[in-house]
Amino acid sequence: MKEEDTKKSLDKRMTLKKAISKYIFDGCSVAFSGMGGEQVVAPTYEIVRQGQKNLTLMGDSPCEVGDYLVGTGQLKRVEVAWLAFAVAGVSPNYRRAVEQGVPHKIEVREFSNYTMGLRFLAGAMGLPFMVTRSLAGTSVEKYNDMIKVIDDPYGGAKVALVPAAKPDVAIIHANRADILGNTQFIGFSSNAENIARAATRTIVTCEKIVSTDEIKKVPTFTTVPQYVVDAVVEVPFCSHPWNMPYAYAYDIPFHMKMMAEIDTADGFKRWLDEWAFGCKDHDEYCEKVGWARLKKLAQIERKFCKSIV
Amino acid sequence: MSTNGKKYAEDYTLQELLVAAAGREIRDREVVFVGVGIPCLGALVAKLTHAPNVILAVESGCIGPTPYRLMLGIGDNACGENAICITSLWRAFSDQQRGYFDMGMLGGAQVDKYGNLNSTAIFGAGTYEKPKTRLPGSGGANDIAISAKRTLIMMNQQKRRFLEKVDFITSPGYLDGPGCREKYGYPGGGPSVIISNMAIFRFHEKTKEAYLDSVHPGVTAEAVRKEVSWDLKVSPDLKTTPPPTKEEADIIRTLDSQKIYTGGGLKNLTFENYIKMLNSSHARIKGMFA
Repeated sequence: MKEEDTKKSLDKRMTLKKAISKYIFDGCSVAFSGMGGEQVVAPTYEIVRQGQKNLTLMGDSPCEVGDYLVGTGQLKRVEVAWLAFAVAGVSPNYRRAVEQGVPHKIEVREFSNYTMGLRFLAGAMGLPFMVTRSLAGTSVEKYNDMIKVIDDPYGGAKVALVPAAKPDVAIIHANRADILGNTQFIGFSSNAENIARAATRTIVTCEKIVSTDEIKKVPTFTTVPQYVVDAVVEVPFCSHPWNMPYAYAYDIPFHMKMMAEIDTADGFKRWLDEWAFGCKDHDEYCEKVGWARLKKLAQIERKFCKSIV
Repeated sequence: MSTNGKKYAEDYTLQELLVAAAGREIRDREVVFVGVGIPCLGALVAKLTHAPNVILAVESGCIGPTPYRLMLGIGDNACGENAICITSLWRAFSDQQRGYFDMGMLGGAQVDKYGNLNSTAIFGAGTYEKPKTRLPGSGGANDIAISAKRTLIMMNQQKRRFLEKVDFITSPGYLDGPGCREKYGYPGGGPSVIISNMAIFRFHEKTKEAYLDSVHPGVTAEAVRKEVSWDLKVSPDLKTTPPPTKEEADIIRTLDSQKIYTGGGLKNLTFENYIKMLNSSHARIKGMFA
């Protein structure tokens, strides 16, 4: 199907399995939303289950999606600013790959969070590159041939240029969307608006599919309009164990348990056997985590942040 | 103990002293780009004491929150709680590059005498491509180091971390010394302070070199010099870092009741205790901001 056909579809709903198998192919480049929370976790597990290979990850600060897909050997290259688990710890699979070549060596091109954001902005604007004050004069620039430092053509000091990021596929996770793909974030959206627009194919996962009338009540919440989107998938608790603003709190005790397990390559395999291959889909994952636990995380979040919609 | 009419806490931990020291670097009405952990707790302590109008900003795009719970990261829901603005990542960083952010907070595995930071890789006998220890990378640190008007650096005091030269400059301080930041047109002024677990360092106005400005209670200048690889200069007016006040210590213990940042409580945190912590923190912390 031609690109414009799916973006113009009037009902873009599909299952997560279908969306991943339809759009993510061996050798493609992928980008995901999220920043220190709101991570795209359920699609990561599905990509692990399906096993697409030789992927290039373009991202700002990926967590599971970076660490896991490096650990399974599905990534051949990363273009990122950072790769770890924030408060929960460092990224053991990234360390194993870079330090020891386990499971295999990966190509790494590093940027910063802002300049990865600018790369997606350039992609989203249909421009070849973006200019920034960041990077010039640092080792980040020195070790990355994708970054160019030039004299400001209008006079003044040096500036750095970063190339547009144009991933084959983007997956962004939002609070809600309608079946046309109009996508609303209630809390922060980090680089989602530009990641979605920069990609050739864009999959939206959301906590809840709502009616278009509901979207129209607060159109300023629409970060990504329908013409950008190819697929819409309802995935409640998609970011677990991470937090989702206005939806559920961070399950940090679960994350600490995971970190302890994936610390070794064997532990990581066991973790995937249990949580990726041991569950046929995200519903079974939620079942295994326990709906009571997930509901508790949602309930406690409402105490702190009540949405107007 | 009491000086200048302030009542100091009688017993306090090192982490609590560091939180208070970080908080004191912040002035009222400033916009502060915060990281996670001790410096961020410091910013909240400042907001609850001498800097009630401080605006916190985080990388996920949340600006000016008043969270009634501990912030468990720069993308935690707490970052958007009672915020004045929630925007995109690139927008928040653009505001910083434009010059709206007064201070940024940084950390790393290595620092040098010009305040250059490494959070990318410890080379050891290896190289960038195959280092001894691969670290997470820049994240937003490179951008903060370049564009925040000034930066606060938090570091562990060890000789192998305080180096003549870092393996990799993730986040620039003054690069090779005076005039370097200007050459690259960096909008921000560079690091103003390093706070370690032993001491506080500031940067010489002309040479841009870090010097010892203050030692924490019970620490000598000689002990600090032993944990620095370059020939560290000591301020003729060497101070002792004031301990947290009783008020600051009380605030820290309320904000971090489970000692996640001030005692290493994360590994033993059960789900039940976590939910309990969230449940009780809402009322307690809301009361402090009231």
